[in-house]
Amino acid sequence: MSANGWFQIFLFFLLVLACAKPLGVYMARVFERERTFADPVFRPLERLIYRLTGVDEAHEMRWTEYGIAMLVFSMVTVVATYAIERLQQVLPLNPQHLGAVAPDLALNTAASFATNTNWQAYVPETTMSYLTQMLTLAYHNFFSAAVGIALAIAFIRGIARRESKTLGNFWVDTTRASLWVLLPLCFVYALLLVSQGVVQNFRPYDQATLVQPQTVTTTGADGKTTSQTITTQTIAQGPVASQEAIKMLGTNGGGFFNANSAHPFENPTPLSDFLQIFSIFLIPGALTATLGKMTRAPAHGWAVFAAMSVLFFAGVSVAYWAEAQPNPLLHGVDQRASQSQAGGNMEGKEVRFGIADSALFATVTTDASCGAVNGMHDSFMPLGGLVPLVNIMLGEVIFGGVGAGLYGMLIFVVKAVFIAGLMVGRTPEYLGKKIEAFDVKMAMLYVLIFPLIVLGFSAIALMMPNLGLSSLANAGPHGLSEILYAYTSATGNNGSAFAGLNANTHWYNLSLASAMLVGRFLMIVPMLALAGNLGKKKLIPPSPGTFPVHTPLFTVLLVSVVLIVGALTFFPALSLGPILEHLLLHAGKTF
Amino acid sequence: MWDVGCVIAIVAFFVVAIAYIAGCDRLAGKDIRQ
Repeated sequence: MSANGWFQIFLFFLLVLACAKPLGVYMARVFERERTFADPVFRPLERLIYRLTGVDEAHEMRWTEYGIAMLVFSMVTVVATYAIERLQQVLPLNPQHLGAVAPDLALNTAASFATNTNWQAYVPETTMSYLTQMLTLAYHNFFSAAVGIALAIAFIRGIARRESKTLGNFWVDTTRASLWVLLPLCFVYALLLVSQGVVQNFRPYDQATLVQPQTVTTTGADGKTTSQTITTQTIAQGPVASQEAIKMLGTNGGGFFNANSAHPFENPTPLSDFLQIFSIFLIPGALTATLGKMTRAPAHGWAVFAAMSVLFFAGVSVAYWAEAQPNPLLHGVDQRASQSQAGGNMEGKEVRFGIADSALFATVTTDASCGAVNGMHDSFMPLGGLVPLVNIMLGEVIFGGVGAGLYGMLIFVVKAVFIAGLMVGRTPEYLGKKIEAFDVKMAMLYVLIFPLIVLGFSAIALMMPNLGLSSLANAGPHGLSEILYAYTSATGNNGSAFAGLNANTHWYNLSLASAMLVGRFLMIVPMLALAGNLGKKKLIPPSPGTFPVHTPLFTVLLVSVVLIVGALTFFPALSLGPILEHLLLHAGKTF
Repeated sequence: MWDVGCVIAIVAFFVVAIAYIAGCDRLAGKDIRQ
């Protein structure tokens, strides 16, 4: 580990901290329809959208109506995305004449992008036309993120409102999240990325003649060896910068290219890399300030921010330490950091980013439900790979996905105050609202769905040699980690992958699509039910027995609840995967 | 055939999710009455 590496990590964190309040307060004003500096530009546009779509801005929705609107909206967009993928060969903006996407893969991709997962079981530059990338995938990047923000705002309203049956208007919240928050940020950010060399064009792919032709020898299924001399290379390109901006800001993570943010056209420089990591946490960090502003309890917002920060630093410290260590199986190889090499485990990492930025990127992308990668998680040391896996298993509440991270953490807040209430024998309260049986039932439903899907599908895949194991490249604990990571990533709507598992099979496309849909929508329903129920409650004035939710004690309790729930649920699976692999690596075995 | 199956599967999932909303709402009503 180096001082330079830690400097970058602290600089990144300070920047997130500095932006949290101004952006958070701006978002609170947008969603409470207070005047902002952007009113002259966006307010007329917003009114025009409502006029064209027939949305009544003043109409307030109960949680059930809010949820149904969200589900119907998502269903229509999933079906439309599926149709466009299947018909892309007859649609415009397809200069490479790419064929229709296979039906199981099209279903997987439609579910993936609508749920903000962006799991990609395909090579984008050889599978998706420009139209598919822009009209469906980039569209989902905006609206799945906007829906996440809208849902977090609805949850905050549930906490903030008194004796109210309504949580706001889904169409209005989604429009405001897209128009006032995501679009302007993405516009500026895309230009910054272009200034760093991220490409943005509609040209057909270029053919370049290699300076040095390469001879490739392959062995076929029949055992025959064939040699082929490669003299040209296809240079894929396209409208990358615009998609890259929302990919990171919306914590989507689906790359324009297969190599994602390790590709030099997506992420060319250390500065573009730093901006990409920062942009993942920008909105989720700011939403804690939005929580504080809208509930009129700014100290509570900061306490939630502090809990997320503690968990972030724990993760990045372990990942950075693990990756900076030399690989014990590489005997006699100089793996020390020096002026000529980064040192440590550089397998699967970009030389221009090095150890610190790769560990930081991997931690941040899995703290949030982003899933973009600038290095291959599969090549991390076992404990380095454990960190991304654990981050997702904790529910991606460490800043988390835009909106989803905040409402996920607020579910843990409800559980933390419930546990605190049990300890002192009082009815638990959260910001003046009594936490009762129904609230705890919904919070537990939210928490239980996630491990049920992850562990259930992983177990089925591991028991079925023809389904789950047939496309697995690694044996032993590493193979288990790859399958476990796939279902954790899909259910957590993260989208990053341990390579080594070919997920483009009927089984994985269909089972992972199911995991993504359940992990998104069936977790949102109890969250909205809890929000709706909280909104109806009377406000109770604080008493000497009230557990304060803005103190360091509350932050410690919240962090403990997140860790204990995650550890109790997933430790057995983790001990058979990355932990066992770490022990065997030091005994001289690799997989 | 695949296309019909996939579209039916998508619609069926969202119908189940809407039914799940109705179920949670009924549970909320029951809990409050108790």
